[in-house]
Amino acid sequence: MSVRYVPVQWNRIKWVYDGLLVAGVLAYLVAFLQIGAGMADATRPVDGAILRMRAFGSCAFFLLTVILCIGPLARLDRRFLPLLYNRRHFGVVTFAVALTHAAYVLGWYFAYAPTPPVAALLSSNTSYGTALGFPFEALGAFALVVLALLAATSHDFWLSFLTAPVWKALHLMIYPAYAALVAHVALGYLQDVDNPAFAILFGGGALAVAGLHAAAALEGRREARSAGTWVAVCAPGEIADKRARIVRLPDGDRAAVFRNGARVSAISNACAHQNGPLGEGRIVFGCVTCPWHGYQYRMEDGCSPPPFTEKVPTYNLRLRDGVIEIDARANAPGTPVPPLDVAGMI
Amino acid sequence: MIGAEAGQDGGADLRCGRRMAVRRGGTAMTAALILAGQVYLWAGAAVAALFLTWGIGRVEPHARGSYLFRPLLVPGCVLIWPLVLWRWRALEQGRDAGCARHRPPRVAQVRIGVALAVLVPLILGLGLVIRQDGPRERPPALLEAAQ
Ligand code: FES
Repeated sequence: MSVRYVPVQWNRIKWVYDGLLVAGVLAYLVAFLQIGAGMADATRPVDGAILRMRAFGSCAFFLLTVILCIGPLARLDRRFLPLLYNRRHFGVVTFAVALTHAAYVLGWYFAYAPTPPVAALLSSNTSYGTALGFPFEALGAFALVVLALLAATSHDFWLSFLTAPVWKALHLMIYPAYAALVAHVALGYLQDVDNPAFAILFGGGALAVAGLHAAAALEGRREARSAGTWVAVCAPGEIADKRARIVRLPDGDRAAVFRNGARVSAISNACAHQNGPLGEGRIVFGCVTCPWHGYQYRMEDGCSPPPFTEKVPTYNLRLRDGVIEIDARANAPGTPVPPLDVAGMI
Repeated sequence: MIGAEAGQDGGADLRCGRRMAVRRGGTAMTAALILAGQVYLWAGAAVAALFLTWGIGRVEPHARGSYLFRPLLVPGCVLIWPLVLWRWRALEQGRDAGCARHRPPRVAQVRIGVALAVLVPLILGLGLVIRQDGPRERPPALLEAAQ
């Protein structure tokens, strides 16, 4: 748990994750350059600079594709959750790869332009009215700007300073950026590429992102939608000891209803650190422990034990006919709520 | 006939001239866009300097006495400085909605995800429909009999 901000929070798992990520990127680039050089068409020489440009560009596309698959995959199957925890480092690496691609493009195609390279890139083709010959470079530039924005605001500080809703809304820009990136490749490289393997990988990746998002949305709809202020949760015995049951409230928020022996309390499911799913954690030494980075909260008031100062909202609970019900209106973060006594019901 | 040719040439000139004018217009707009971008980024640099040396400690208790991470915030400040100013003001005035901090916009995220699921196949389809198979993809044909 952090009392003060540090430049980057690394732990052993993150080191492994980042190591694998960087190794994967390097392996892709080397493979692309090796295979690409071998398959270059002798009648249309693709020289080293263009090959490198394509290697970095396609790598950025596939990285972003994986990033966007992780969210719905984790929603559909909890075994993918570990991939989600360090997704921000993934995003920063993707930005670095995409920036390298852009640097190659500017340095190769616009190095001798009379205007600055960026101006030359944006003004060399202005046929925005046609699909064939559309200035796809502008789409790539848009995606790059969004990636820069997201990488630049990926530090924990921004989540806390901007608040989760604003930060998340900002980071939802990844979706239009991905659509722009798909169009950038579909109207650009796809028009030129001879090798069907790339077209299949590109189309397959983009369709996987689309399909997984559609599946996750359907799954979300299937989740029971409850109405009213008091929402039925379950019988106390259905919650395992020191574990939680996550409830989706009518306004879309989620609460985690924890049982610690014969006492039941509810707090927000979103961790104050990075919105980790508290309900997937458990009670360790009397405190709810976030499964992502281990922040802890007392279940009766949603406060981290001193000296830490994080707080999450709490919820009121009641028992009706042997079923726990939760008040969908959250209390302010850190509001104490006496735990529900369920002795004799478990 | 000569007149007609001259007329055609004149038309071509005119079209060429119009295209040049459109291109000049595009260049002027790009130049204006780039200038606006530069002004925005310089304003962001000023906000970053002020916020990271002075404002951050006032509104974010966890940042007090912690300096190493601040350079990492420079790009973010430069890029989203209007949001930085807005939040800085809200926190200085104590207008922070505690509960809202924990509310991720899940509903919007699902809708945007669905929009993406619809848009991506459409874009891919468009890319494939307009793709022109160049001569490179046809089998070579002998144009002239060997002498
Ligand atoms: S999200 Fe990091 S500890 Fe909960």
